[in-house]
Amino acid sequence: MPAALVIFPPALYPKTGYQSRLNVEGETINDIIEELEQRFPGIRFNLCSETGELRQFVNIFIEKENIRYLRGLETTVPAGACICILPSVAGG
Amino acid sequence: MTQSRKYPADTMVLAVGTKRGLFLLTSSDREHWTVENTTLNSRVFYAVFDPRAGYRLFATDNGDFFGTFLRYSDDFGQTWQEPRQGIQFASESSLELKNIWYIEPGRVDEPGMIYVGTDPACLWVSSDSGETWEPNKGLLEHPTREQWGPGAGGLCLHSIVVDPSNRERMWVGISAVGCLRTDDGGKNWIFANKNTRAGFLPDPYPEFGQCIHRLLQHPTQPDVLYQQNHCGIYKSLNAGDDWIDVQSNLTSEFGFPLALDSQHPDTFYVVVEEGMGRHNIGNQFTVFRTQDAGKEWEPLTNGLPGGPNVRLGVLRHGMCTDMVDPCGVYVGTNTGQLFASNDRGDSWQLIADYLPPIYSVSAICLQ
Repeated sequence: MPAALVIFPPALYPKTGYQSRLNVEGETINDIIEELEQRFPGIRFNLCSETGELRQFVNIFIEKENIRYLRGLETTVPAGACICILPSVAGG
Repeated sequence: MTQSRKYPADTMVLAVGTKRGLFLLTSSDREHWTVENTTLNSRVFYAVFDPRAGYRLFATDNGDFFGTFLRYSDDFGQTWQEPRQGIQFASESSLELKNIWYIEPGRVDEPGMIYVGTDPACLWVSSDSGETWEPNKGLLEHPTREQWGPGAGGLCLHSIVVDPSNRERMWVGISAVGCLRTDDGGKNWIFANKNTRAGFLPDPYPEFGQCIHRLLQHPTQPDVLYQQNHCGIYKSLNAGDDWIDVQSNLTSEFGFPLALDSQHPDTFYVVVEEGMGRHNIGNQFTVFRTQDAGKEWEPLTNGLPGGPNVRLGVLRHGMCTDMVDPCGVYVGTNTGQLFASNDRGDSWQLIADYLPPIYSVSAICLQ
């Protein structure tokens, strides 16, 4: 299974044991999230609501592409890809 | 459950939940106060100490980005834990947790029981001091639930009253739904809205749909309840079977918070507001007190600000009392001012300013 580099936002450091980036295996973003959930129980709920959808103000980029404009959580993860989890820049 | 005690016995501690974090104010004399921040920096709708075992501090962590969580601290807010099995709806429910609104420690003789209210409206129950949580099915599957619509703040369960005299009886308040009561430990819930007005509906006295803002129980008479509603202030003498309008000489029917003097049970406090602007009426910020269970109200203004620029609002959990005699009354505004009285409201002082908008205040005296 391909491995990707996942970069976390500071808001999730308490959940990842203060690791800012990790290599994680998975063929899709869903697989990556599942692997993260195995390592850091509860992190799925930080990223996705109970219905399984990505939270409204959470963005996941594969390289520079937002998965919302690809196949969402079913987006394929190329080997060696860089995955960046970022909160939206939301004002007000 | 052990924790290092930071404060001596008889310290009054206020937990102030705000739009940007949880703050603690402490005092040994209720005159001089020290403000401290905690490490919880999100939207804290409510926070409360559980005195039954070690003063565990529960708080709502309503995140803007990465989810909403109930958290607890055993060191007065310096470090926080997440429940092993937290507050999350089942995936098949199609519900998504928006905000956690309220936390109520259970009965004195039921240590470990904690109750939480959320948006979407649901009563959550823990029997192990917050480590694991389950939704109350009776409310979640209420036969009328499909007809519930949200208020302006959401479909929020914001008030929980646990009857200390009857283990089977509780009440909850849900915005734009009303007051519900269980008499069988939460298996079934009935509406308790008779004679409370929903002036914004075609039928102003429906079975449900009233916008209850805050619900409390008389400290010594368990069948007596008080509520601040969108459309008035009411008391019930029969556990919510029906309600009596006690607006009397108040200058508005609209307000959010309600607080009781536990040492003088017919004394309670409201902060009525302009219904549209949701701030003090006229130029004087005023807390109102009744000492005869709502027959008559007196305005309390000594030490509270007035002037052409004064437009202060208080949210539903923004006022509380302590258990001391004379009782302390604490009022936090949605513009970040915290006022305190140590003489039942006769006089006030500003004890904190420049806070973020205050969502809630709760008080406890450490033993």
